[in-house]
Amino acid sequence: MQDKIETKLEILADAAKYDASCASGSAGKRSAGKGEKGIGSLTGGSGICHSFTPDGRCVSLLKILMTNYCIYDCHYCINRISSNVRRARFTVQEVVDLTINFYKRNYIEGLFLSSGIIKDPDYTMESMVKIAKSLRVDHHFKGYIHLKTIPNASPELQEEAGLYADRLSINIEMPTQKGLNTFAPEKNISDITGSMGRLRNKISEHKTSKTHTGKRLPRFAPGGQSTQMIVGADASDDKTILNSSVDLYQTHKLRRVYYSAFSPIPDASLILPLKPAPLIREHRLYQADWLLRFYDFSLDEILQGTKNNMLDMDHDPKLAWALRNRHLFPIDINKADKKLLLRIPGLGALTVQKIIKARKYCNLSWSDLTKMRVPLGKVKPFITASDYRPPAYLLDMESLGNQLKNTEQLDLFGRAV
Amino acid sequence: MKIIRISTLPGYEEWKDNAKSCLLDYIPPSSIAWKDINEPQDELFAGIKSKKTPPSSPHKPVLKVPKSFVELAQTACCHKDPERFSLLYKVFWRINFENRKLLSQSLDDDIILLNKMIKEVRRDSYKITAFLRFRETLYEGKEHYVAWYEPFHYTLERALPFFTKRFRNMNWSILTPYRAAHWDGENVLLQDNPDPSQVPDEDRIEKYWLTYYAGIFNPARVKKSAMLAQMPKKYWNNLPEAKLIPDLLHNSEAKAREMIDKIKA
Ligand code: SF4
Repeated sequence: MQDKIETKLEILADAAKYDASCASGSAGKRSAGKGEKGIGSLTGGSGICHSFTPDGRCVSLLKILMTNYCIYDCHYCINRISSNVRRARFTVQEVVDLTINFYKRNYIEGLFLSSGIIKDPDYTMESMVKIAKSLRVDHHFKGYIHLKTIPNASPELQEEAGLYADRLSINIEMPTQKGLNTFAPEKNISDITGSMGRLRNKISEHKTSKTHTGKRLPRFAPGGQSTQMIVGADASDDKTILNSSVDLYQTHKLRRVYYSAFSPIPDASLILPLKPAPLIREHRLYQADWLLRFYDFSLDEILQGTKNNMLDMDHDPKLAWALRNRHLFPIDINKADKKLLLRIPGLGALTVQKIIKARKYCNLSWSDLTKMRVPLGKVKPFITASDYRPPAYLLDMESLGNQLKNTEQLDLFGRAV
Repeated sequence: MKIIRISTLPGYEEWKDNAKSCLLDYIPPSSIAWKDINEPQDELFAGIKSKKTPPSSPHKPVLKVPKSFVELAQTACCHKDPERFSLLYKVFWRINFENRKLLSQSLDDDIILLNKMIKEVRRDSYKITAFLRFRETLYEGKEHYVAWYEPFHYTLERALPFFTKRFRNMNWSILTPYRAAHWDGENVLLQDNPDPSQVPDEDRIEKYWLTYYAGIFNPARVKKSAMLAQMPKKYWNNLPEAKLIPDLLHNSEAKAREMIDKIKA
């Protein structure tokens, strides 16, 4: 027989699993010092994966909804008021206890809490803040807390949340207001970005300012903000989506934008597409996002020459870019600077680092690349080494793109290397 | 051939003392057979124990290694490969007589091997912080958390700072096949060859964890190989949730179809 908590957990974990933003972000290091009360630590970096589910995803946080009751009617959401799913609601105490008990057994790094909207946004947000506060104040919990703030909740409550949470997020859901009008009629993009803007200001204020007595201000969401966009429910193309990401990164200093391929939900609203968006599209968006943030690519470069403003589905965006810019290759791995090395398909940031270190001592040859476990099939047309030049015809071949179709190596985060 | 048997685990200190005196005597790597505690003792050489060889050469080499070597050697000693000691001695030798900068030659064959060992040890030390599961019990009337964990290498000690920091105000014990660590809030007590039957079979919260684990799995997106890459079967013994995996995989197709049917209806 299931007890009450098991039933709730089953419903409210299930309801949260469609949220893509699972990893804990980096919020620095901390732990209880000698003689200090409390439990928990942050180890820096992005948190430990305590388990993996058979879908290959990392389990790092207790990711649940406080409740899946909701007064809103967002069409893409299984918890909308007009859907007839099983409903449940945790009390504040139940969530606090589960978090602490899971944490003590080393199951998790912390809590990721979101919620449907009960009564009104403020009432809901208040309960969520109570949970975070109790963990921090009653239990001196030093682990990770991510709160998904409720759109339209009062600024005061959102600010209080920032005092206890490591990261705050608010889902933008759709890249345009038009999308929201159709699919989430109660939501408004300027409310959402307005709240992001307020939180951004708070975050930077707490990082840099001091009180008049010279004390540092208390921590405020040190892990920053993130958001999530649903891909493929509305008609937005990749350019529109990535444009709005660039804006979110630049204007609102978001740490992370998550993309979630729309997948049909049971008991779906009639205006939704019946078919899921291809996972590969979500994947390509993550890769493009990665190039934008860490590989010094501009959005124009990524989209240059693409059809209908959609990313190439056959090749990762870096390879696609290289195939369109063959005149820049081959690149000499013994001479090229870091920026250029990063443009070579098949070389990730880590390999580039290794190359730069190793070439200080000797001229790198083909067999050196083997030792570094570089994907040779993929880099072959694009590089020269001390004893290697690609045959001239390789880069001229029309069919090169086809040949390289299946050379993609994916790591867990969907970064193409 | 000189035989040196390192009888401690992971063995760094003992290896270091022996390696130093061998180097001072100019004994080349090819003339030493290093053994670890798990290798069967050879009858012929039984009785020869590792000990400091008295220095005999008049020209002492200057024993100098880069600082980073100490940390690397400590790490590599935690590897379960019995070859670790001879590899380390070879690198130690070559640093002294061949190339001071050997460690940065990331394409040298010995360094490749050494780096591979180190990487595996680091990964294993990370996995213990991830995959270890405590169970709650009472010890002398107080809450006490106990875990049984089978690391792949000798990584218990390396992982301890993580646990003493994170669970500072809890009393806990971690038992591994070769050694246990007990924490009382202030000190770690190490104990060799602990008795696994001291680990409780049950925990009052574990069923919720299992419910949670099964609940967040998305049956429509099975990617078994991605899971296995991060959570290889050799670690499953440590994970209460791993026993759910076969059923989750088995039922996933039916579940996914059920979902699709619901969507179509
Ligand atoms: S407000 Fe959130 S929980 Fe409610 S229907 Fe919209 S997306 Fe779903």
